[in-house]
This record gives sequence, C-alpha cells and structure tokens, in this order.
Amino acid sequence: MNYHFNWSVLWSGQSGGWLLQGVITTLEIFLLGLLIAVLLGIVAGALRSAPLAPLRWLASGYVEFFRNVPLLVWMFFWYFGVPPLLPQGVQDWLFDHGVEFWAGVFALGVYHGARFSEVMRSGIQSIPKTQLEAALTTGLTVIQAYRLIIVPIALRLIIPPATNETVNLLKNSSVALTIGVAELTFQTRQIETYTARAFEALAAGTIIYLVLCLAIASIMAYVERRVAIPGMIVRGQTGAS
Amino acid sequence: MKPAVGFFVAVFLGITVTSSSFAQGTLEKIDKSGALIIGTRTGSPPFAYINKNNEWVGFSIDLVEQTILPALNKKLGKQIKLEKKESAPATRIPLLSSNAVDLIAETMTDTQTRREQVDFTLTFFVTGAQFLVRKGSPVKGIQTIAGKRIAAQQGSTNAKIIREKVPNAKLVEFQDQPAAFQALSQRQVDAYTNDGIQLAGLKARAPKPDEWAVVGEFFSYEPYGMAMRKNDSEFRQVINVGLMDAIASGRYFEIYDKWFGPKGEVPYPLTPENKRFLQLQVVPK
Repeated sequence: MNYHFNWSVLWSGQSGGWLLQGVITTLEIFLLGLLIAVLLGIVAGALRSAPLAPLRWLASGYVEFFRNVPLLVWMFFWYFGVPPLLPQGVQDWLFDHGVEFWAGVFALGVYHGARFSEVMRSGIQSIPKTQLEAALTTGLTVIQAYRLIIVPIALRLIIPPATNETVNLLKNSSVALTIGVAELTFQTRQIETYTARAFEALAAGTIIYLVLCLAIASIMAYVERRVAIPGMIVRGQTGAS
Repeated sequence: MKPAVGFFVAVFLGITVTSSSFAQGTLEKIDKSGALIIGTRTGSPPFAYINKNNEWVGFSIDLVEQTILPALNKKLGKQIKLEKKESAPATRIPLLSSNAVDLIAETMTDTQTRREQVDFTLTFFVTGAQFLVRKGSPVKGIQTIAGKRIAAQQGSTNAKIIREKVPNAKLVEFQDQPAAFQALSQRQVDAYTNDGIQLAGLKARAPKPDEWAVVGEFFSYEPYGMAMRKNDSEFRQVINVGLMDAIASGRYFEIYDKWFGPKGEVPYPLTPENKRFLQLQVVPK
C-alpha cells in the first residue's frame, strides 16, 4: 500500500498555470494587505503613545477590537457583512470586480494593521522619552517630531518583529480561500480536485510558501542592514558592517 | 538558504512516505483496534450532517452502521465500533492515504481520476449537477449561466464541468455548503451549483424553502461511492457484500425511504431506473 509520488502532475495539463496564477493572486493580496496593515499600524501605533487621551482610546479600541477576533471571522465580515450595507450601485460594481479579492485584502489589512500597531508601539516606547523632548526643544511641533524623528527610528527598531508579522500576513492570506479567493492554497486544492493527488499538490504549495517567506525574511534583513543608523542600534555582533 | 529548503522537503516527504507505507490490510487494522473509522461530512444533509438534536447522522452514515458494520462483525467475529471523523473534498484522499480513516462515506463521486488513487465500493446513490436559485431567477440551467456569478463547492466535479463547458461564467468556489448558500441568499452570486440531491437537501432545510428552486437538467453524472485505500480487495469485498446484501434484502430501500421517502428529511423518490441500476449491481452469491 505504498504511496507512489507522481510529481509530473504539477506541470502537466493546467496545473503549472494554476500554481502560477495562485502565486500571483497570493502576492497581490499580500502586497495590498501589507500596504493597508503598515499604514494603519504606523498611525495607530503612533496614536497609542500620543499626548491626547481620546486619540489613545481610539487607537486602543481599534487594536483590541480587530486583533482579538479571529481572522476567519473578519473574512466573513468583510465579504458577507459589508457589501449589503453599501448602495446598490456600489454592490453591483463590486460583484463585477472581484468582491472576494477586495474583502480578503481588507480583512487581512485591517486585522494585521492592529497587530502591526502593537509592534510599532513597542518600537516607539523603547525610544527614551528624552528623545521626544530633545526634538521639541529644537522647535519642532509634536507632529513633526513624530514624523521626522520618533517614527523613523521606531521603524528601524521594529524590523525583526515586523518581519514576523509580514511573514504571518503572507501565510494568513491563505484564509481568503474560505471566501472563494483563488490564491495559492486554493489552487493546490484545485490541482488535487483534477488529479486526485493531494500530497504532490500540498507539497508544491508548502515549498512555494517557504520560498516566498524566506525571500521576505532576506529582503527584510537586507533592509535592516541598509537603513541602520551607525551607532544608534547596537547589535549583539559587529556594529555597522 | 538552499540546504534549509532541502531539509524541509526531506522532512515533509519523510512524513508522508512513512505514514503511508504501513503495509497492513484494513481488515487487520480494524481487527486490532476494534473500530471502523469513517470520514464523513457535517454539513451535507441528508447524507451526513449534524441534525437539530446535535447528532451526527445521515443516509451515508446509516448505510455504514446498518449494512457495513454487520458485515464486518460477521467477518471478524466480534463487535466493531464506528468512529466518525470529518472529511471534506480536499482532505478525503489524504485522510485515507495517511490511515487516519478507513472508509470515506459521504457524498463522494466515483471518477476515473480518483480511481487511480483510491478504490470505490459499488455505487450507492446516483445524482447529477443542477442549480439552486431564487424562484424566478433567469438562471434555468447550464445554457443560461454565461456571464452569471455561479457559486460551487471547491473540489467538486461540478465546478470542473462548468469551467470546461461555460468558461465565461464567473465561478466562485467555496469550501462548504453553508458559505455557498450564504452567498446565494445575500445575492452575492446568482446561482449555486451542486449535485441535485444536495441542493434539494439545502432547499428543504432553508428558513423559507418556497423561496428557492432547484433548476436545470442534470449536466453531469454523479455516482456516489464509498472510497477506501487502493489495492485492499479483502476489505472492499466485505464492504461490497454488506451493501449488496442490503440491496438484495430490501434493507437498503428501507433506509432510503427513511431519508428520501415522502416523510423523509429530503423527499426524493427513487426512480424505477435507479432502483433497477442498484439491483443490477448485486452479483449472485
């Protein structure tokens, strides 16, 4: 009863094209989701340390609400819950233009934005308060101090945990298959349907995710080295090399 | 990075190969553990689903309990327990190959491609793909779905046929029936395609069954069989004898009536042709 692997199912017929299509959709949903997540994360993360209480409450409300509900529920929320609230014209347009995809992008972006903002906050809070005070004494306004000094430094500090979040976002994009987005995992299942070869299809999906995640990790490591401020972030090993 | 990738590939393949290389017959496995483990559905009424009383029941499950278990008990000379695990179109073949379950008893269509991976029992139900629509919908069958948004269940044979026959229909594939039906009732899609009997099941259980209609000629042939690991003819023999005895003795038709009769969960009378087809599968003792 040995299982005989037949890897050729991955490139014979339409399988190769489906896998490619899946990778493209996964990357699209990942990049758009990441864009939303990073923007929301930076804003909410900065607001959580803002000197105005209502702004902090607003940001905490967003973070706690969105990160404490499972991503799968958010997928259903953006797909089943939101469109009926929109005007009929917008609904029709959405249904004609891949509502599944956009619901997936928003679910991922808003959910991961809440998680990103916590990473951002930890970065900002690890910067000594005197840094902000020093910035203010040079005549910068609070907003300028955040925009020009605090946030740029925090962004450098948080690269390792942000890499984690980015890799998670990519992998979590597979949840979008529950609302019918034809991303990578969806396509591996498609191949399984057509060829009845689940192990080969899953193995292909696994390896592609692995390669994509390793690529993200090495890009982030490269960015970390490139943007490091010499003397500012002291690492365990050699300083600036 | 290359060695790392190689390592993971090796681990992955190692797991799948070792788990599938226990060369032990299913009968032997059942004899040792005292349990037959089936993979079945939780949301496919009336074949296998969780009912109002929170019990996991259905036509396919009844067939296993009342026709296959007795045959196994007789063969092995002891009482065998039934264990149920959830399966889905994408997981049912891996569940079998990894020995997690011994038999898939749900709504699985017997196909030539699948027969390259698993073996099937005789056909225990015959249906074909149709569409579930809101009453009065312009969708009347496969000829009228061009450009429409059509929900399907991923991993089903119906989606495959639509993709081939009507490439310009906008196919949206869901993992399970509840999500697809939700999309249909919210007008996210214009129709939901699945095997006619499953659509009849959904309609019967919908909050307002009168709002829905099952339309169209069968655009596919879906013979349901139960699947098992390949090349295990002793096990398959026991299962098939159990099913044949049930058809020959009339027990099968009693169970059919319980689920599909006039008072059943989903009224769906057995056509004379289908009855004859089932009976012709029974070979003499």
